[in-house]
Amino acid sequence: MSVLEVRDLTIRFGGLTAIDGLNLKVDEWEIVGLMGPNGAGKTTAFNCITGFYKPSHGQVFYKGDDVTKLPPHRKAALGIGRTFQNVGMVKSETVLENLLTAQHTKTGYGALQGIAGSGAVRAREKELASRAEAILELLGLGEFRDRRLGALSYGTLKLLELGCALASDPDLLLLDEPSSGMGPEESHQLGDRLLALRKELGVTMLLIEHHVPLVTAVCDYVYVLNFGKLLAEGDPDHVRNHPEVVAAYLGGEAPEELAETEVPDDQQALAEATS
Amino acid sequence: MSVSTPPVAATLGLRDQARSQRRVGVRVVAALPLVALVLLLPAHNGYASISAYAAIFVMVGLSMNVLTGYTGQISLGHQAFVGLGALTTANLINTGTTAADPFMFAVGMVMSAAASGAAALLLGAVALRIRGLYLALVTLVFGSVFADAIFTLPSLNGEDAGVKAYRPTFISSDYRFYLFALAMVAVCFYVDICVRRTKIGRGLVALRDNELVASAFGVNVLGYKLLGFTISGAIAGLAGGVFAFWTQQFSDKDFTAAAGFNMALTFVVMVVVGGLANRVGVMAAAVFFALVSPISPLMAAIAQHTGWLNFYTDHKFYISNLIGAVLLLQTVILNPGGLGQVLRPFARWFAGHPFSLHDPDGGSGVGAMEGSSVRA
Repeated sequence: MSVLEVRDLTIRFGGLTAIDGLNLKVDEWEIVGLMGPNGAGKTTAFNCITGFYKPSHGQVFYKGDDVTKLPPHRKAALGIGRTFQNVGMVKSETVLENLLTAQHTKTGYGALQGIAGSGAVRAREKELASRAEAILELLGLGEFRDRRLGALSYGTLKLLELGCALASDPDLLLLDEPSSGMGPEESHQLGDRLLALRKELGVTMLLIEHHVPLVTAVCDYVYVLNFGKLLAEGDPDHVRNHPEVVAAYLGGEAPEELAETEVPDDQQALAEATS
Repeated sequence: MSVSTPPVAATLGLRDQARSQRRVGVRVVAALPLVALVLLLPAHNGYASISAYAAIFVMVGLSMNVLTGYTGQISLGHQAFVGLGALTTANLINTGTTAADPFMFAVGMVMSAAASGAAALLLGAVALRIRGLYLALVTLVFGSVFADAIFTLPSLNGEDAGVKAYRPTFISSDYRFYLFALAMVAVCFYVDICVRRTKIGRGLVALRDNELVASAFGVNVLGYKLLGFTISGAIAGLAGGVFAFWTQQFSDKDFTAAAGFNMALTFVVMVVVGGLANRVGVMAAAVFFALVSPISPLMAAIAQHTGWLNFYTDHKFYISNLIGAVLLLQTVILNPGGLGQVLRPFARWFAGHPFSLHDPDGGSGVGAMEGSSVRA
């Protein structure tokens, strides 16, 4: 049984069809990549899967259940964690407090119990805090424990965001460009880290990523989107050499029989694909 | 703001720990004058009444702290919740000329919190769909209309004569009543601490900063917004219940028309001047605004000593507003963290941290302002 299955997903914003009939599957223990030039609909797909957008058509199955219509916080409680393209954390809180907030669905006490502040709540809070500290140690961020997020570098924030996503103990992790803002060396480390996480915690992942060496290193399977449509799928090496994918990213002509695809004139996608 | 100081725990060696334990004694001694001031000064006959009034303001301050400080929502109609609390408890007990029955008194206090909590839930349900200027307007209209329409019903305001709420005998003196109000402050203070230290407060602050992120973390944004309104309303209602027994009657005129709006404005100003999301600062600001309020004997005494008594008596209803306006301006322009930011080194020291004027983690008040928390 697949952890995540997206069937015939379509979403329209007014006259624009942002995603058109996307089919996608992520099996347990897999790390699956979602690629495509800017504006292809990758983040929109994430937003549909996590419940921030309501798809116009199609379904999202999580562990066999139809979760298409659930709101984001319910999906988070089911074990779907996600990160954001531009770092999604609570800016005014400290690093430790963010890791505590991330464990919101795992607290195990109700709102009224929290307000009354029983001893059980306090004991549970201590457990949550030690779990947060363990995650900080795991990611090597211990020294930043009591810092507010404004004082941290972008790379540190991206790493911390990954830590927050892990703190909720997810079964499925959706990572939106985890390596953005990282140099080649850092993104290589990130690849190792993702593989280690899968091995140690058994997390299944779907990641949006432009950095080809990282995708090749960690992904078992890759989907490529272009203008909301699935352009290609397969293992990373197959996709990398796929003529349409090359055409979509680099511009230029696709081979005759595949020439239907429009070629985006996107300098940034080009730069990212070739970096 | 961000001075790179290693975390306290990491640098505290064993010897430092022993030293910090000795410092606990120093802190207790340092706290004694404060405790004595809070407990003993109001025992002086002239001060008990205004002190109880200050305690009521502190409760309202904590109520605004939950709503505006943590949840990031604004309310320009908080006088309605305070008034509803007063109305509920007074009508429930309706003592006539006798002292209240202690049991019914307790029931009245609980019901005042419940009624205002429910009313705030109602307002919160509206607030889910709007934000910013529109929310401010809706709460403003809600507060005025709610107070003017419901509080003035003859069946609820004692046919315009006010509903009597005489204190139960065990707290009939002003000083004893002050101690009771102080106990109620302690309850609200405890709730505030519990809220902030558990997932409730973290959820509220998360949704204040960014609703998308909060829901990705699993926070039910709609539910938590309602929860924020309800907690805030309930605390304001309890403050209203205490207020009814402070004046020993419920009179709609305290909460309607200009008096009501004036009150609502003071509440908003005091939470900003105190420092958003900063409990200690907001409480200190609440005490201050109670002491400069038009009913304050302190202000009258100062005016008499300086020879401005006639001027003060003629203008006392504007003077507290003027003070509030000036403080609001200086807070917004010069000191966005509010009074809480100024008091923070001392508050941190009392909480067991080493004394430092440079706050290693920035200070929540400033953080709250930077996060554009108040959407208004």
